[in-house]
Amino acid sequence: MTIVELVLILVRGLGQGAIFALIAMSLNVIASASSILNFAVGALMVLAGVGAYMILPSDPTLFGWIMAGLLIALGMGVFGFLQGGLTLIPLKSSVEQHSWLITTMAVSIIIGAGIHLFGGSLAFRVPSPIPPVTIYSTTTPTAYLLLIVLAVAVYLCLKWFHSRTYIGLAMSAVAQDLDASKAAGINVRRVQLASFSLAGVVLGLTGHIGAPVINISADTGIGYLLSGFTAAVVGGMGNNLGALVGGAMVGVLSMFAAYQFGGIYQDSVTMGLLILVLMIRPEGIFGLAAARKV
Amino acid sequence: MTIRTGLMATACVALLAPAALAQSDEPLRLGAFVPVTGAGALGEGSLAAVELAVEEINAGGGILGRSLDLTVADYQTDPAIGVGEANRLIHQVGIDMAVGPTYSQVTLATLPLLSGAQVPSINVSGAASITPDVAPFSFSMLANAETQAQAMVNNAIDVFEAQSFAILSDNGAQAKTAVAEIQRIVEEMGLEVTGVQEYNYSARDLTPQLLALQRGEPDALLLFSSTGDDTANVLLGREQLNWDVPISGSAGASLAAPALEAGGPALYDNVVALANAGFSYCEADGRPERAVAFIEAMQAAHPDSADRYPMSFIASFYDAVYVLKAALEGTDGDLSGPAVAAWIEENAGSFEGVNNGLAASAESHFLIGPSTLRPVLPATQDEYGIQQRAGC
Repeated sequence: MTIVELVLILVRGLGQGAIFALIAMSLNVIASASSILNFAVGALMVLAGVGAYMILPSDPTLFGWIMAGLLIALGMGVFGFLQGGLTLIPLKSSVEQHSWLITTMAVSIIIGAGIHLFGGSLAFRVPSPIPPVTIYSTTTPTAYLLLIVLAVAVYLCLKWFHSRTYIGLAMSAVAQDLDASKAAGINVRRVQLASFSLAGVVLGLTGHIGAPVINISADTGIGYLLSGFTAAVVGGMGNNLGALVGGAMVGVLSMFAAYQFGGIYQDSVTMGLLILVLMIRPEGIFGLAAARKV
Repeated sequence: MTIRTGLMATACVALLAPAALAQSDEPLRLGAFVPVTGAGALGEGSLAAVELAVEEINAGGGILGRSLDLTVADYQTDPAIGVGEANRLIHQVGIDMAVGPTYSQVTLATLPLLSGAQVPSINVSGAASITPDVAPFSFSMLANAETQAQAMVNNAIDVFEAQSFAILSDNGAQAKTAVAEIQRIVEEMGLEVTGVQEYNYSARDLTPQLLALQRGEPDALLLFSSTGDDTANVLLGREQLNWDVPISGSAGASLAAPALEAGGPALYDNVVALANAGFSYCEADGRPERAVAFIEAMQAAHPDSADRYPMSFIASFYDAVYVLKAALEGTDGDLSGPAVAAWIEENAGSFEGVNNGLAASAESHFLIGPSTLRPVLPATQDEYGIQQRAGC
């Protein structure tokens, strides 16, 4: 492998990994506040990409692109809030019932069907106002670099949010002990809805910024969900630093496997990583072993 | 009853049954196996083409006076769902004939059921394993993988003077057959395969595959893709790597709309692909009239979505319905699989549709043979989606 090939695989692998990391962080945000794994996160990100396709002209300006991003993030935040309501309404306590398994998966399927009805089965192509960067006489879509920056920024923002804001601290409290949080006067349902909304914003930004390199079509949400879930588990469920590292590992390893062993082994090597990590550290690289109730 | 009387009665029934069928007012039930939902990008347009053919036939008085009644089997590109849908169409709906599926895995899964029920069908799959032995009453409107493989190698040698080849394909059953065939052909010719790579359907970034193939420094890249989206992703990857390797592509590589939208005609520099003769032309001869008429009819029927349809591909579904119509008329209404298959084997060459020059035999039911394929320059696609041939 030449240095050029190594750099290209690293940059693109980290870019792809950033998408998985952002999905994993979205899963973590909701799971930590409600113990719900939102199986619609992949579809929500793709939906944001469809939003970018609908809003952006074929030759967007940078200002228009930024405004569209804010609009999509806001819209996805509202969508996340509504989805959270739909998911949480039937639950007295999300840790005791499992209807969320169906409602989150149903939302994912409905989004896919809606995209199909809107635009058919072909992938949507979204333009970028920022020209690609040149690396050793090759070009790489700027979206990859922006996604890496976004993933790190979201990680730092979530860290600040969970430690410095009232609602963030409330989410952390709910994550640690639901009943104690209720007893302390925290409106748990409101906190959980906020987590859905926050995840929606993250997915909205991911779908918008990553639109030029994401496969935006009706049936691709589930694939992104699986990769994001793998990143979350590898890194340690509930740990955003783990999501960041896990996403990078999955992205780079997937690219490297295709290059070195062939595209036929791309998925199996990624899943092999998941199994290996779970065998050595069942709680994930950065996960904490759960205390056993006695 | 004497033996003579019995024989006469049997002969009378045999003679009168087709006529009775022909005179029946019952609609003919046509099943359409199309992946309207699920992965892939071919179902919606394929169904639209079948619907157009059915509407035209019914408007023209049906087949031998019987109207066509269409039932859709949405197999979602999933063989298991395809088998369930085939059972539903055969046992509940009671279809008389079928068109589709497209995806070889699904076709291979459903054909035993259709064959068992003696339902004649025309699929649009290219896996070489779909032989008359496996499916005696089914024909394909697609060039099989072996035919495409041979044409791709020939085009790479003729157009680009290539002596060494890298192979890139999707991971479908048809593509795997084609890759094996390409390797066999190239080896027999004493030429070199420098690398083989594959990708998942709809994989967005193919940089690692292309980088790996670039290492072998091939004279040409043989690209077996099944969809326009995948072709666009390969061409975008080649452009981003600044790799000017010539590409000889399969029929899927000529589905140019996504690539033209993603990167414009420049993406198709140094690319030839395969297209049916009926959907290609040389400037001097003018555009093929039947293809133009088909596209205009599709645009009139689906003004909002027709521009998304891969017209050259879905025309195969349109023709498939008309081939079955011709066969039923040729057998005087005998719907049985053996009768329809025998007629198509004998008379495929006389069929006049969007695609002409069809051929079939007892040994091969792939109606699109080498003589029906042409190398085209996909970027020359006009407003009708028709492409100019290479070397005009």
